[in-house]
Amino acid sequence: MNFHGRTKPHLRLTINGVTREFLVAPTTTLLELVRSKLGLTGAKRGCDDGNCGACTMLIDGAAVKTCIVLALQVQGREVVTIEGLGSPQQLHPLQQAFLDHFASQCGYCTPGMILTAKALLDEYPNATEHDIRDALHGTICRCTGYVKIVEAIEAARDSRV
Amino acid sequence: MISSSPLAMTAFDYLQPATVQECAEMLAHYGSSASVLAGGTDLVVQLQHRAMRPRVVIGLERIVELRYLEPDNDGGVSIGAMTLLRDVKEASVLSNGLSLIRQGVTQVSCVQIRNMATLGGNSCNASPSADTVPPLIAAGATVRIVGRKGERSLPLEDFFLAPGKTALKVGELLHGFAVPPPLPRTAGVYCKHAIRGPFDLAIVGIAAKVTLDERDRVRSARIVMAAVGPTPLRARKAEVLLTGQVPTEALIVEAGRTAADEARPISDQRASAEYRRSMVEVWTRSALRNALYDARRAAA
Repeated sequence: MNFHGRTKPHLRLTINGVTREFLVAPTTTLLELVRSKLGLTGAKRGCDDGNCGACTMLIDGAAVKTCIVLALQVQGREVVTIEGLGSPQQLHPLQQAFLDHFASQCGYCTPGMILTAKALLDEYPNATEHDIRDALHGTICRCTGYVKIVEAIEAARDSRV
Repeated sequence: MISSSPLAMTAFDYLQPATVQECAEMLAHYGSSASVLAGGTDLVVQLQHRAMRPRVVIGLERIVELRYLEPDNDGGVSIGAMTLLRDVKEASVLSNGLSLIRQGVTQVSCVQIRNMATLGGNSCNASPSADTVPPLIAAGATVRIVGRKGERSLPLEDFFLAPGKTALKVGELLHGFAVPPPLPRTAGVYCKHAIRGPFDLAIVGIAAKVTLDERDRVRSARIVMAAVGPTPLRARKAEVLLTGQVPTEALIVEAGRTAADEARPISDQRASAEYRRSMVEVWTRSALRNALYDARRAAA
């Protein structure tokens, strides 16, 4: 058991439904892997510190800040990014609700907002406004003031059959 | 020229033991050159900022035997070190006299962090402001520590030696927490005073747990203070003051003053030592009032 420092262990992940394999340096965060190696740039590098929530992805359905997750930590698990939700032709109900309610201005926080909201509504389909605001506690928007975002999430909640 | 990111981590090897035993062997082998990663929500930030430069990082995510949250035969609860904060928050077995443990967890950051962070990690990080710790100490939790050659346990309050420093020796890891069953008519609360709510670090955190006797006198009390000393601190004099007494408002006020005297706060960017001391007084009163209210209503 000696130190190598340059070994790149093997990593297997499912990203947006597709299982992929990589050789990854241990210092690589999940966010870096997804943005740089896969070119999926929906998740944003904001604070790089676990604060702003712009890097949020779903891991096995749970919202996680991926700038402070090592890629090797999530070996074998299922990751969903904003690119895995709907398509330009057929938006996910949350994406459509954000559009309809003007819940996005600069858009930097939007992928994290939508994925955090998705995890919440998947777990609590009847989430109250209080629950929604509580869930968004770690996802920061500096443009909208949150009102439109909360309204969009409530609309998506109410549109579910 | 594009400069390299100031936040690049220094190189390390990443090891993923599958069992506690294998992990203890690795910890013994690498000693202080290794860091342990539980959920990573604190460690990865420290790696990014190069506040830590371990040569080896030992990730615990494969060790399934460290993930448990189950009632014991005697009515207590055992919680594994790798149990996610989100699972502690939702654990219905932590109710009545033990619900303060969930209150502490709820005060940690945000949902995305609680989905990765672990109960063991929050203790092993040994931050004086850790929100999960005062409720566990107030509940009388002990820690189960495992090494290559066996295991030992000690009260959680003795686990913390200094900021960032625990009683774990080289080759040892935290297996989990054992929370004893609460006595009848026990209730506890955790109050956190922070500018931005859970997302912020505590200026002061107070856990208070009281048990009443059949005549509504205080049978026992525990008060544990966060962020006002190098480690979480018990306000032992305030506890003694309450014990055996009828908890009048005057006594609660006196207990608040006593706890403030026992705090050992420093001034930092969040608050001055003087302000912290005043807030210990205020929040101890508040925590005691709430705990007593719940204890009086608790079934005997």
